[in-house]
Formats: sequence, C-alpha cells, structure tokens
Amino acid sequence: MSEDIDVELEQEVAEFYQSLGINQGPGDIQYRLILKVLENNDPDITKFSDIRNYTDQFADRGSIGSKMKTVFQLEGLVKKVKRGGYVITDKGIIAASFLKTTTTFYKKTKRMCEIIERMP
Amino acid sequence: MMVSGLLLNITICFAITLSSFAFAWVLARSEPEHGDKSKPALWALVIFWTLVGFTYLPTTIRMIAAYTQNYGLDQMMYNLAAIPFAFVSVPLVYFIIYVIVGNKKVSGYVSFVFMIFGSAYLTFLYSNGVNSTVTEWASLFSVNSDIAISIYLMGLFVVPTAMILGLLLIILLQRVPKRLRYRTTLPLVAISFVFDFMLTDMITNIDIMQVFARLFVLIGTVQAFLAYFPPLTLQEKLGIQEYQFDFYEEDDETEHDIEDDIGDEGDDTNV
Repeated sequence: MSEDIDVELEQEVAEFYQSLGINQGPGDIQYRLILKVLENNDPDITKFSDIRNYTDQFADRGSIGSKMKTVFQLEGLVKKVKRGGYVITDKGIIAASFLKTTTTFYKKTKRMCEIIERMP
Repeated sequence: MMVSGLLLNITICFAITLSSFAFAWVLARSEPEHGDKSKPALWALVIFWTLVGFTYLPTTIRMIAAYTQNYGLDQMMYNLAAIPFAFVSVPLVYFIIYVIVGNKKVSGYVSFVFMIFGSAYLTFLYSNGVNSTVTEWASLFSVNSDIAISIYLMGLFVVPTAMILGLLLIILLQRVPKRLRYRTTLPLVAISFVFDFMLTDMITNIDIMQVFARLFVLIGTVQAFLAYFPPLTLQEKLGIQEYQFDFYEEDDETEHDIEDDIGDEGDDTNV
C-alpha cells in the first residue's frame, strides 16, 4: 500500500458534500473509501477484505458488495479478476483523481470560510 | 501671512481625529453582532482606529500651535503624536495574522515583535532629535536619525503593507459571494490607505504633500466606514444589498399541486 488512508478526513469531506446536497460519489463515504483502497493498491489486485478493513465501521459487507457490483463494476471502474479480487481500470483512475480534487476543493473552501469567519 | 493653508491642515487633522474615534466607537458597539471567532480581530481593529485617532489628536493641536506660532507646543505635540503612531502597526499585524492563521498566540507573538520595532523607533527618534520648519501649508519635522527612518520604513510599514496585500490577494483569488467580497476587501483597502498615507504624512519634507497625505488618510477613514456601514444607495448600485425576505413557511407541495391543477385545467380547455 503506497499511502495510508485518512478515514476521518474522508468522512469529513463526504459530510461536507452531503451538506451541499451531493449524496452520491464524492458525498458517499463508501464510494470514497472503496476508490481510495483500489487506487492505493494499483496495479496489484485489491481483495474484498482490504476494502472491508476501512469500510466496516460505516457499512455492512452486503452493502459494500452491492456497491461494488452496481456502481464500480457496472460503470467499468474496476475489473473483477478473481473471486473477491478487483483491479482498478483506467476509468477508475480518472474517478480517483477526481476524488482527489474534491478533497482539495473541500480543504480550500474550508480554509476560506474560516478566514471570512474571522474577519469582523 | 500663513493663514489658509495651515487652517485647511488643521481642519483635515481634526476631521481625521473625529472620524477615526467615531469609527472605533461604532465598531466597538457592534461587538454583540460578531461571532466569537471574529471578536479578537474586531478588537484589534478598534485599537487600530483608536491609535489613528490618538495620532491625529496631538497633530491637530500641533497644527494649531504652528498656526499661533507657539513652536514649543508644536514640538511637544510632535513627540506625543509619535507614540501612538509608532505602535499603530501592532494591532494591525495582530489583526492580519489572526485572520489568516486563526491562532491568538501566534498573532500575539508576531505583533509583539512589532511592538519592539515601535519602541526602537521611538528611542532613536527621541535620542537624535528633529528639525522643524513651518510653512504656509504645514509644520514639518525631519527626523535626524537614519536608523529610525529605516526601522520605520521596513519594520513598521513595508511588512504590514505586504501582509495586507497578501490577505487581499487570498480573498480576491477565491470565488466568494459579491457581498462578502465587498465586506472583506474594502476594509483592507481602507486600512492600507490610511496606514500608508500616515507614513507619507510623517516622513515627507514637502508641505503640500503632507496636506494631501492627510486628505487621503481622511478618505481612507470614510472608506472604512462605508465598508462596514454601506448606505442603501451604494448597496443597490453594487448589487450587494442584504436580503430582506422572510422564509416562506407554507407547504411547498400543496402550492405545486395547485399550479399543476391549474395547468391541467388550462390544457383541458385547449383540447
């Protein structure tokens, strides 16, 4: 694994997007974590248990499984290469880099809001 | 002989004194409207404007003294005005660092450094003395100490001005609502106006330039006032008026249903 995933930050970012009315994608903590794990493991195979290490505190096994099927596999963001083993596709990398910009946007906006909040 | 120019100078100084004190007072009174996070910055601003007022109060007396040719009082008031003037950058630096970083301790330490700068400036100023000239327009003092002038330029003015510009840039580069942008940038522009023309005022050797610098300090004070309390006409012109609407409390669903019904009926009649 190249870098650790900051679960708390991801949750914070997801809550921020939810507060803007964006509940899917960037506003969905499950989506964020799954994509992060897949990206970190690239180009190796990501095991379902790797993902569950992070997502267990938010969602049960079933909902992660169905998200993998109905979102990631359906849209071609991952390829299932064996039972419980996934590899991220090029399209998946695009999604992951978009996710990164959402984190940057969140940080920038938060910093700006705090500056304005402190201006009398 | 030296009548009109000095009289104008006195009037401008007096106007600056009054308006900056009034502004500081109004700001201090608006304290309950501000959140806990913006209160330290608010008090720094109040102190800043009070110091501006305390700089121009002795300056007014100084100009009157020059007008009545009482040169002893003139010099005494110059020395008195130098004290609040030397520390005017302290609350300003505190304000900027606090707004950017958000840490009271850090901004406290940084502004303490500027307090040392201010004290150093005063020490060199008082130990080396000044030369005075009174002209038709102004009473000018030239500082004998080169070190005092350097401290004053670099420490007291260039750095805080750069900080203001930095904060301005941060805000201008972001996409924020127009009203917020007006509220945040105009006070900064006004402060840098006042701050930099105070420098010009104190350092210049040309009498007309002193009068003009003071005029711009006055303009800056008015600008700051407009930033916090924009008159309605200005708000309308800039499109920054605050919304006066109340929340619509009725159930939206029913309204849509009614509209749909009306629409349907309209369709029916057409058919």
